[in-house]
Amino acid sequence: MERKRDSETKRRRKKMTAHALYPSFSNGQNPWYHNANPIWLGSTLSIHRNLEKFHFPSKLPVEKRKQIISLFDRDVLASQSLKKPQVYKAEDLAPIEKEFLVEHFLSQKSFQQALAGEAFLLDESKEFLGVFNIKDHLYLHLVDSRGELENAWSRLAKIESELSKSVSFAFSPKFGFLSSDSGECGTGLHVTAFLHIPMILHANRLQDILKKNKEDNIEYSGLHGDPHDIIGDIVAFHNNYTLGVTEENILRSIYGLATKLVIEESSLRSHFKQANENEQAEIKDKVSRAYGILLHSYQIEPIEALHALSWLKIGLEMGWLSDTTHEEINQLFFSCRRAHLLCYYGQKMIPEEIPHKRSEFIHIVLKKLKLLI
Amino acid sequence: MFERKNDHQIPDRPLECSECKKPISVRYTEIVGDMITEIHMCADCPELQKRLHGTSPREFVAEQTGNPAGLECGNCGTTLEDVKRGHLLGCSICYTVFEDVLFTEMQTTNRLPPKMINKKGHPLHIGRSPGETSSVTLSSRLVALDEALKETLSREDYEQAALLRDQIKEITEKGEWKEKGTPKQKDEEKK
Repeated sequence: MERKRDSETKRRRKKMTAHALYPSFSNGQNPWYHNANPIWLGSTLSIHRNLEKFHFPSKLPVEKRKQIISLFDRDVLASQSLKKPQVYKAEDLAPIEKEFLVEHFLSQKSFQQALAGEAFLLDESKEFLGVFNIKDHLYLHLVDSRGELENAWSRLAKIESELSKSVSFAFSPKFGFLSSDSGECGTGLHVTAFLHIPMILHANRLQDILKKNKEDNIEYSGLHGDPHDIIGDIVAFHNNYTLGVTEENILRSIYGLATKLVIEESSLRSHFKQANENEQAEIKDKVSRAYGILLHSYQIEPIEALHALSWLKIGLEMGWLSDTTHEEINQLFFSCRRAHLLCYYGQKMIPEEIPHKRSEFIHIVLKKLKLLI
Repeated sequence: MFERKNDHQIPDRPLECSECKKPISVRYTEIVGDMITEIHMCADCPELQKRLHGTSPREFVAEQTGNPAGLECGNCGTTLEDVKRGHLLGCSICYTVFEDVLFTEMQTTNRLPPKMINKKGHPLHIGRSPGETSSVTLSSRLVALDEALKETLSREDYEQAALLRDQIKEITEKGEWKEKGTPKQKDEEKK
C-alpha cells in the first residue's frame, strides 16, 4: 500500500517538473505569437452549459462526473471545428500547468481546484479551451486576437452544437441555458475585450467615456478581475448581463465600446506624438524609466514588469524606441507571468528565484532594444 | 531595510470569500482577549451579518424572507439557505423551486437589464435556444464604426475619421453585413 503511494507521489513529482502541456504551446500555433495589436490586444468569449438529466457538478459524485466526460468523448473526436482535440484529465496536470492555462486563455476563473472527474479540452489552434465539470458540466472558452468577435462567436456556437449532438442541455424558456451560478444563466455568454489604454488612464478619461457611452451592460476590471487594480494599463471590458439580452446584443455592446475606446486612445497617442517638448516630458520620463527598469533590474515582480511593458509600447509608438515590435512586447505580457516563465525554464525553482529569472528572461528578449531619447 | 514582496506572496488571483467564494471586499478582524481572528468576506455575505449583529445565517435568511428557512429542492437537496448564501445551485429543478428568490437576487445584484425588472412572470430569456444556429452578421460592427465616425468628425479628428472610413469601406465591400436573421426569425416571418 505504502509502495503504491510512493510511486504515485513520484509520478506526480515528475509531472510537476515535466510540464507536458507547454511544448505544444511554444512550438505549435499560438494566437499570441503574431499579435501586433497596439491597443485591442485580444478578446475572450465563453459559454456555460449543463446537461439536462444530471445534477450540476457541485452535487455530483466523481464517478458521475467521469461519466459526463465520456458522454462528450465521441462528439469531441468527431468535431469538425476542433483541430486535433485532446482531453487532459485535471488530475494529470500539474498545478503550474493549470495556472498556465489561466494565463494563456486570460481566464477570470481559477483552475487550481480542478481534481478527479474534471478535465480540460484543448485543440491545436490553442485558441480554444473546454472545461468539464468545474462549476458547470461544460465551459467553452475561445480567445480571439483579431478583433473579430462575430467570427469568434460563430466558431464557439458551432463547437457547442457539435458537442451537443448526443446530449441535451438544461434549458428553461424563462431562464435560458441553466448554469449552477444563477448570474450566468440565459445566453450563458461572457464576452471580454482586453484593451491597452495607458493614455486614457493617464489623462483620467475612462470614467467620462463610460458615462457618455451609457452602456449599463458593460463592466470593467483589471487582468485579475479587480476593477480597482488595473495592471499594465490593460482593462478588461465585459458584459454584465447574460439573461434578458441576446448574443448579438452582447457582441454589439462590447464591440461598440471597444471601438470608441480604441479611437480615443489613438487620438490621445497622436496628440502626444505631435505635442511640444514640455507636454511630452512626463510621458518621455515614464518611457525612459520603464526602459531602465526592464533592462537593468536584477529581479522584477510581474506587476512591475507589466506596468513597464505598457510604457514601452507607448515609447515604441511614439518612435522613442527602436529594435523591438508590438508583437515582441505583447508576447512579453504573457511570457513574463509566473506560470509561463516556470514552464519556459522547465525546471524546479524556489519562489525567491523567480523574480531574478524573470529579469534575466526580459533582458534576453529585449537585448537589442535602444532608447532614442 | 526595505521589504520585498516575492511571487509566492502576491496572490495571482483575487482572494475569495471563505463562505461563498465571491471576491472579497471585507476584511473582518475580531479581537477577543488575546485572540485575533481575521476573516475575509464578500460585501453581501450573511457571515458578515452574523458577526455584526449576532444572528446565524439561518436566522438571517428567516429574517430576510419572513419564512423559516425550510425550503429545499427535492431533487438535489439544495436549501434556501444555500441559495441565499450564494452557493452554487445543484440542478435544473432548483430554478423552478427557488424561482422567486433567484429573480429577487438577480435584481439586487444587478444581473438583470433594468427593462426586464418589471416583467416578472414573463420569459426573461431572449437569446438562442438549444439547437438553434447562430448567424451574427457584421452589421453590429458597422453600426459601431458608424457611431465612432460621427463622434470623431464632430470633434474634427480627421486622421482617425479616415481610418474609420477605411474600415467601413472594407466591410461594406465584403457585403457580409446584411442582416440574414436567425432561422427562428425566418420561421416566424414565414408564419
